[in-house]
Amino acid sequence: MTARYTEALDRLSRVSGVAGALVVEARAGLPVAVDVASGVDSGAVAALAAAMYRGAQRAAETGGYEGVHTLQLEATAGHVVVAGAGEMLVIAVAERDAQLGLVRLETQRAAESLR
Amino acid sequence: MRVAELPRVVEALRAPIQTFVRESRARIALVVTGSGQVLAQHGFARRYEVMNVASLAAAAHAAANALGRLTGAGPWQHLHHAGSRQDLFLATLRTPVEDLIFVVIFDTESSLGLVQLFFGRLAEQVAQLPEFRVLPSEQTTQQTFERDLEEGLQRVFQPDAPGR
Repeated sequence: MTARYTEALDRLSRVSGVAGALVVEARAGLPVAVDVASGVDSGAVAALAAAMYRGAQRAAETGGYEGVHTLQLEATAGHVVVAGAGEMLVIAVAERDAQLGLVRLETQRAAESLR
Repeated sequence: MRVAELPRVVEALRAPIQTFVRESRARIALVVTGSGQVLAQHGFARRYEVMNVASLAAAAHAAANALGRLTGAGPWQHLHHAGSRQDLFLATLRTPVEDLIFVVIFDTESSLGLVQLFFGRLAEQVAQLPEFRVLPSEQTTQQTFERDLEEGLQRVFQPDAPGR
């Protein structure tokens, strides 16, 4: 089972500019599989990104837009992309200059492979 | 911890606990010593609830420590009970004086990851508080436990106490 998660992250973490890729248990916000550069606090990223995703999901449901597919956070120095995969989330932490389209695509692909 | 020191400790814990509750989105938080002194609480409306939870937390803390010694696992870091509607998180806040018991109850507004994350930050803050560099506790007996619990409840349920 763990191999499945690490395989899902393999392509994603090889995208240029991706500093971290994680599979996270959505309800608990805890990392299940992690491939991150040093300096990235995987526990904090997992907890906070999962909380952000849950908040977005609640907002979407409240607004009548059903569930959230992909969530993208654009910050001053980089990006966080989160894609839902059933009980799991796939999270990519990318640098500012990363190819964002490719990061999104590979995050979604990784999530689809886990559904 | 000596009773005379408690008001300063209770005051010093107030802000870090409020920050923890706000950031982790926990419903209930309680800090209690192993002898039953209640040092901080958020989210409880009734004294008897604090009393019950404080007593049970102290018992769980003692049982977990005994289990750790018995199995050679050593001191425990935290316990997590995933309930159907709410989760319970029980952890040790280490201070230079003594270990404190930290009880958190949270629901789907929060998560174990968030609670763990902000507990880590709280633990760092609490360990550095100068108010904890005081004399160690007297030996705990049933009488001191009950007395300390009662005094702690008086303190955290003052009209201007947080979490009311």
